[in-house]
Amino acid sequence: MIDTRATPSPRPGSAPVAARPGAEPVAPDALRARHARKIRLGPAGWAGLALLATITLAAVFAPWVAPYDPRQTTGQPFSAPSAAHWLGTNDIGQDILSELIWGARVSLAIGVLAAVVGTALGTAAGVLGGYFRGRVDAFLMRTVDVVLVVPFLPLMILLAAYLGPSVGTLALVIGVLVWARPARVVRSVVLSQSARDYVMAARALGSGSGRILRLHILPSVLSMALAEFVQLASRSILLEAALAFLGLGDPIQKSWGSVLFYAQARGAFLSGAWVWWVLPPGLLITTAVLGFALLGFDMERIVNPRLRRR
Amino acid sequence: MTGFFGGKVAQYALVLFVTITLNFLLPRLMPGSPLAYLAGEDVGAMSAQDRARVISDAGLDRPPFEQYLTYLGNVVRGEFGYSFQQKKPIGTILLDRLPWTLLLTGTALLISTSLGIVLGAIAGWRRGRRTDLAALAVFIFLESLPGFWVGMILVAVFGVQLGLFPTFGARDAFARLTGVDYWVDVGKHLVLPGITLVAITVSATFLTMRYSMLSVLGEDYVTVARAKGLAEPQVLFRHAVRNALLPVATVFLLNVGQAVAGATVIETVFSYPGVGRLMYEAVLARDYPLLQGGFLMITLSVLAANMLADLVYPLLDPRVVKRD
Repeated sequence: MIDTRATPSPRPGSAPVAARPGAEPVAPDALRARHARKIRLGPAGWAGLALLATITLAAVFAPWVAPYDPRQTTGQPFSAPSAAHWLGTNDIGQDILSELIWGARVSLAIGVLAAVVGTALGTAAGVLGGYFRGRVDAFLMRTVDVVLVVPFLPLMILLAAYLGPSVGTLALVIGVLVWARPARVVRSVVLSQSARDYVMAARALGSGSGRILRLHILPSVLSMALAEFVQLASRSILLEAALAFLGLGDPIQKSWGSVLFYAQARGAFLSGAWVWWVLPPGLLITTAVLGFALLGFDMERIVNPRLRRR
Repeated sequence: MTGFFGGKVAQYALVLFVTITLNFLLPRLMPGSPLAYLAGEDVGAMSAQDRARVISDAGLDRPPFEQYLTYLGNVVRGEFGYSFQQKKPIGTILLDRLPWTLLLTGTALLISTSLGIVLGAIAGWRRGRRTDLAALAVFIFLESLPGFWVGMILVAVFGVQLGLFPTFGARDAFARLTGVDYWVDVGKHLVLPGITLVAITVSATFLTMRYSMLSVLGEDYVTVARAKGLAEPQVLFRHAVRNALLPVATVFLLNVGQAVAGATVIETVFSYPGVGRLMYEAVLARDYPLLQGGFLMITLSVLAANMLADLVYPLLDPRVVKRD
């Protein structure tokens, strides 16, 4: 999963500014304008955005969209779909459709929060390593190597089991273990940026490291970090689902993964109930993951096709 | 030469060190007494003598650094402690479970790597055509599926409704099969979890192989091979695929970790008696020493697979060693 996304080769004429070796120095404003022109999503990106928008809307308007309170017993346990309960009820008579609509909030929140943590850590590590080089860089990149080799899901299980199940803990545990890839990508951007003429010029004119980082390096990294964020959100949702399925989800705030945990624990897939109890949550997870993945693919293509090759 | 391997070995040693240290620190850094983590939640109900015995067994009455050294020594000797829930030494439990995980992940990785290479090569060769786009769509979709959910659906459809394959465990424990029959039975139990694991690991290989083919097909030597008048299959397999394989070797490494992670949840779905299922049982029972033992064992296996691949890789591509 890491490092393996194939990137479509760049379209003619869309080579990003950063990938052109020896390009003439450009004023930051002009640079920004050029970037702005290139941010045009393709069909894959729009499809991803549409999928995400649908789910997000349902999540935001859950109190109005969901037919029942998912915590209340509103029907006979284990009922099949009916006019009253479109997706039937679970083992204690809660409405499954309402569980899924409210679950969207938890699944998306953890996915996005974890991605925020991961992107922030990765960007910080990448910028520091790529800009200061030397020992800082060596230390950070060794850490990245370690994080990439450790089997992350078993480690997450271990950490989540110790730290206890809650939305915040899950987001933190996932975020802390997925920052390695953005760190590498951001670092490579920073390495190429800090060797450019305008950064040299700024340094020659007496700008301090803080000013150069803030005015020149960070802006050039942001679009890449955003693309990485979207990819991380996609992975984080899958990871959260896996953890919740193993019984490490927040028991009070059920996510799509927790719904599947209960479906598995009550043997739903051994009877016909899998059609309305197992199928829908999985499809929702897939939709969200696919939505972020498609959007991410497209953003990667826009941001920088060449730097992705490692 | 030595530099290349030396660096790698140092890296793995570091990973191992971090893992073991984390294992040591986790129960001791949590709020409250580490006793509950090491000996189970019913430690409160123990008699004073029992409690004192557990404390001295775990070495909790000695200075932290000494505890750490003892812990390191125990791990090196393969003593992972005692599972209070299963009432057995953890080392024994792990050795019982490990072969099943190796069988499952090994088989699945073999199949998914071969499948990914062949399909990726074809898709890269047919770049932009319908075959390529269809394959690309399918594999991006596959990569978005939660593995455990794929497993649940397979159990429901092929196991329960169609009754084609067993859905529980790794072998039929009551049939007392021997010889060929035994292995046929084991094979049947392997089908559904195997397919699930292949489904979630094949995309990475496919996407890498396809991308690698795209860049190789643009190389001069491919043009030369075509200009010589070689038949297209020969150009493809003799000249393009061989060189395109190299990045796949790297992905294979990452896939080992991916497969092991996937196996953790997939074994749970199929009640497959591997290390992954063991971790699930440990989570449910809050059996922390067992959980840690499982994590350590999985890390060791992944590191071993990585080392093996590092030894083999220079044989495929001598440039990696020369460059250093």
